[in-house]
Amino acid sequence: MTAVELDAPRAAPRNAWRLTLGRFLSDRAAVASLVAFAFVLFASFAGGPIVSALVGHDGFQQFPYATHANLDPVGVWTRVPSTAQVRLDDYGNVLPPPKGSRTTLMVLGADGPLGRDEFIRVLDGGKASIEVGVFAVLISALIAVPLGCIAGFYGGVADAVISRLTEWVMAFPLIFFLVYATIHLTPVLRPIGWGHDIPAGVPMVALLIGVFTCFYPLRLVRAQLLTLRNAEFVDSARMVGSSGFRIIRKDLLPHLVPTLLVWGAVAVATDMLLEVGLSVIGVGVQASTATWGTLLAQTTGTIYNAGLGASDSAHHTTWHTIWPTVCILISVVSLNQLSESLRRAIEPWRRG
Amino acid sequence: MKRIVSFLARRIAGGVLTLWAIVTLTFLMYWSLSPEPGRFVYPFGIKVTPYQLHDGARRLGATRPKLTQYGDWWWHLLHADFGHMYTGATLNDNVLTTAPIGPQLYPAIRETLCILIGGAVLAVLISVPLGAIAGRRIGSTADKLISLGALVGVCTHPIVTGKLLTQWFGIDLHWLPIGGYCTFVKHAAPAGLGLPANYQPCGGPVDWAQSLILPWFTFAFLFLAIYTRMIRASVSESLHEDYVRTARAKGARERRVMARHVLPNASLRVLTMIGMDIGTALGVAVFVEFSYGFFGLARLSINAMTGDPSVEATDFPMLLAVVTVIALIVVIGNLVVDTLYAVVDPRTGAVDRPGRTKEIAAGVM
Repeated sequence: MTAVELDAPRAAPRNAWRLTLGRFLSDRAAVASLVAFAFVLFASFAGGPIVSALVGHDGFQQFPYATHANLDPVGVWTRVPSTAQVRLDDYGNVLPPPKGSRTTLMVLGADGPLGRDEFIRVLDGGKASIEVGVFAVLISALIAVPLGCIAGFYGGVADAVISRLTEWVMAFPLIFFLVYATIHLTPVLRPIGWGHDIPAGVPMVALLIGVFTCFYPLRLVRAQLLTLRNAEFVDSARMVGSSGFRIIRKDLLPHLVPTLLVWGAVAVATDMLLEVGLSVIGVGVQASTATWGTLLAQTTGTIYNAGLGASDSAHHTTWHTIWPTVCILISVVSLNQLSESLRRAIEPWRRG
Repeated sequence: MKRIVSFLARRIAGGVLTLWAIVTLTFLMYWSLSPEPGRFVYPFGIKVTPYQLHDGARRLGATRPKLTQYGDWWWHLLHADFGHMYTGATLNDNVLTTAPIGPQLYPAIRETLCILIGGAVLAVLISVPLGAIAGRRIGSTADKLISLGALVGVCTHPIVTGKLLTQWFGIDLHWLPIGGYCTFVKHAAPAGLGLPANYQPCGGPVDWAQSLILPWFTFAFLFLAIYTRMIRASVSESLHEDYVRTARAKGARERRVMARHVLPNASLRVLTMIGMDIGTALGVAVFVEFSYGFFGLARLSINAMTGDPSVEATDFPMLLAVVTVIALIVVIGNLVVDTLYAVVDPRTGAVDRPGRTKEIAAGVM
């Protein structure tokens, strides 16, 4: 009787995933990064609508009175008259709004000469940026896993071709491929989108980034399969008559999940940074759509609108650089740490 | 010796193969995207007929068989001649004049190499001591601070660094110029532009260094972070190795252990990483050039890709020239690193180098 009672708590079977989860949750940095990224996700996807409902305008409305006379935007926490019409006198000078006109709150001020709400645009921009990152990772995983499996498992000519191609493409700066492809595919692909939920341009940028970054997971998958294909469980699966496809699907793919998880968390971050790069060059998502990249591009200028005091970027303050930068930093740092912690939780025997 | 020679021969062959592959890929990409080079021959903004487009393309030599163009390009390259570009082609009295690529390309190479080499030296000079300090005592306050800084550095886009440094040190504090590249040799002011008599174009070693300080730091900031993380890991690993224990057992001082036993081992990894990061570095250079108004290779290639904003056609000869130069820089840089590696590592040569994994976080700029 007592023996049974003593045994009871030990008897609960604990599988590898639950152990990993336990290790992950007992790591303070892991939980912190998870919470931080969850916060970013919530703020980006739900924040825009919530703030819009609270202040009564959205990120697309333009308020002429949200800029000063010289078109510099108003600062943090300003109430501006909520009219879309600006009153001019006979000489074209801007008149103050009529007495008693309703005002609306701009939490982080206006975004530039157009007078849109910077805070809502930063929140909405997060949505587009995260979508780019996540879709790009999914696309590159979709390309990389089958190709990597073929290269790693079957070897031979397929492996040689895929590995060489990978080496060549990775020797060359990725951004050039991306810019070149984007410039030429923009007329065809950029209009694709789904309302405000997936802004137009996001699928294009995600597709291109996904295609051109698929070489990284490709190498990871290939390396993993190279070490696994001679393992005993693969031999035994062969012995009972499994086809190569079945071995990959049933026996090898589960082994790839941890690697892909660790890669995926970092890759979302990297792809978000790539989107910033494309937008700053001026070929990514359309400048009127808010992403963290286009918000930064407004202040730095693009090739079509050279920076350094030129036209539009003159009407932005350092704060307009700092808001999206801080958002990018929080999400990228938390994703990096998340990946690091995942790796530590999955492979606790590897130090560092 | 023989091993080193055969090793180098294989590396050179691999480099030539990479060069060939990159140029061929560029050709294929260009052809697959239906370009309209004929647009360059006529003043931008005027309406052209399909016949004129074809005629323009013919005059530029773009209607020849594709294999001929491909062979022609290599023939030019073997003569170290990049040919003529499409941009600025003008048709006068039925005679087409095009500008040679060289005069634009060579200064651009110089600007980019200045940023790359200076920035790389700066990154290595700062990251080695930081990485050594952090790696010696994992978990100490210094380590935590350095690791946090490195994490932030890895996650910051170079355009942001560039923008903030420009704003603070250039515009707000007026400490450093932000107006583009100054030549190392001082040239006289160009005549015939109606410039005031006392006008002095910037140039000379001091101006050159001043114009490059901010770009160097912007470039170095990202790589600094990556290399600090790597050296930290490498140092902390090798502190547990047998040879470090042996050195300690023999009574070597801590400083000597670091300088003679731990850091040389880390330097091998740094060298490997530098070789692999040359491509990445050129990608980062795009944003450094953008931030400071430099007109280097990256800027040139992106201008060639977009063409004149009003035509939106690709200046293919220019693009190909820049791509070839970039591929050459990657290949030659790798070759230099490989040679250095063979010299530094006594086990040298034919063995594949360890640690050929790239940090994904920075891999794709």
